[in-house]
Amino acid sequence: MSPSLALLASLALILGACQAPAASDSQDGLRPITLALGYRPDVQFAPFYVAQREGFYADAGLEVSIEHQPAPDVQRLVADGQAEFGVADATDVMIARTAGIPIRYVSTLYQRFPVALIGDAADVPSDPAGLSGMTIGTPGKFGSSWHALLALLEAGGLTEDDVTVREYPQFNQVDGLSNGDVELITGFRNNEPLRLEARGTEVGLLTVDDVAPLPGPGLIVGDDLLADEPELVRAFVDATAAAQSAVISDPGLGFAAAEASVPTIAEDPDVARAILEATVELWDGDGFADGAIEQETWEAGFETMVRLGFIDGSVPLEEMVALPN
Amino acid sequence: MRRIGAAALSLVVFLAVWKLATILGGYPEYILPAPSVVGERAWRAIGTGILWEHTAVTLLEIVLGFVAGATAAVLTGIALGKSVLIEKVLSPYIVAAQAVPILALAPLLDIWFGGGLLARVVICALIVFFPIAIATMVGIRSVDPLLTEMLRSLGATNPQRTRLLEVPSALPVIFGGLRVGVTLAVIGAVVAEWAGASTGLGVLINIANQGLFDTPLMFVALATLAIIGLAFYGLVVIVERRLLSH
Repeated sequence: MSPSLALLASLALILGACQAPAASDSQDGLRPITLALGYRPDVQFAPFYVAQREGFYADAGLEVSIEHQPAPDVQRLVADGQAEFGVADATDVMIARTAGIPIRYVSTLYQRFPVALIGDAADVPSDPAGLSGMTIGTPGKFGSSWHALLALLEAGGLTEDDVTVREYPQFNQVDGLSNGDVELITGFRNNEPLRLEARGTEVGLLTVDDVAPLPGPGLIVGDDLLADEPELVRAFVDATAAAQSAVISDPGLGFAAAEASVPTIAEDPDVARAILEATVELWDGDGFADGAIEQETWEAGFETMVRLGFIDGSVPLEEMVALPN
Repeated sequence: MRRIGAAALSLVVFLAVWKLATILGGYPEYILPAPSVVGERAWRAIGTGILWEHTAVTLLEIVLGFVAGATAAVLTGIALGKSVLIEKVLSPYIVAAQAVPILALAPLLDIWFGGGLLARVVICALIVFFPIAIATMVGIRSVDPLLTEMLRSLGATNPQRTRLLEVPSALPVIFGGLRVGVTLAVIGAVVAEWAGASTGLGVLINIANQGLFDTPLMFVALATLAIIGLAFYGLVVIVERRLLSH
């Protein structure tokens, strides 16, 4: 194939891929919708599996298909209407919205910001100022891990120049920590610490919540869908919150649903169960609020993101967050 | 002159089709930016220096990785071509190494080699190695045996036969491998940066795509990689023509 033909074929593929699916009811009268989740099936997505299996979505008149996509693609797919809903980091939503991607955050999934600095208990400072001079591994200079790291440094009166950052774009920073290449890593406090503990490490954490509040991951929806079908958005948000509440009350229910949807759980069910329990704590926070959006945390997070230069503040907070009617 | 005109026409057609796709599809910038948007973004990226900062690192990785990989590959290819025993012993490993997806191995290579420039050059060199080694082996094997016999009868030693007959005769085929290898070096540099790096066009793609949601900037990085690939390919062709014309 000549280069010109190859380019034409590529463009044709893009054109084909970008056609939005038609929204028509299924045979049993349920509204088919697509939910885009990041990366791969995981026990942390248990509320969605429960909502599917236990009929929370069906009771709301929805037939939900789950698709796993690379995290940055979730925002684009939702904005373009190729997926009705998605799960995204709140800090990424701020950046995406500022970059002109028409999405809004409509429901909180994690009441606690899940990213923390993780390391051997003896190496983790209790105060962010103690990070000065340390070597820190992170997937890259993007995403919630990077936002949390810079927010922590700022809280300690430091900048990126005061630490040595080593990047692990394949998310294998745990290996870097284990073999001593870095002293601390960024990671999700419901995941990496448990994997490190399984390797025999006594883990310490420096969390973001107390020093630099940032809103956690939540549900996103495109502007068009929110404007055209707010009742659909409300139904999905409520059904998801109900399923999440059920998992918080009975993690066993979530684990059973996840086992059926996540093949890798069979490899190490104990770690998966521990991850789910740790995740429930992050969802629950100071008491599960059915997906409610905490205005104060968003305002503080927005200001932090502006100060750190991730966004310029040109798009107001009100255009990033919306409560479906 | 006609060749330049055809290339320019091809570029114009490509940009026109691209622009047409954005118009007909009504795609927003975050899915398919128009060429003019990418051009404007490239201008800004050049102005702020961010494009050169990342391009310089990738260029260094490509040059070092290609030189290291090509040197090792030509030497290995000569050995493979001249010795059936060496080929039988090494070929399974070389083929098996080629069959392993480097993307899967790259994060480990990054850790094994300390995660710096060395690790990225090694990853780049590994990707470059296979096509050049095989091309060299095939080239060496395709030398006219009568010529080899003639040199032997004149008392030429094995190294002399290699230097004076086999390598020069194999050059057209070796350059075929080098043409493939130099484009793979560009891919190798990006794969290496995706395994672990702070700067480079692969990193810029990640930052633009995952960090800034800046699709036009991602296209700028991709276009820069394409231009680098074309430039290095052209360079190999020029060197090939110069060498083979003598």
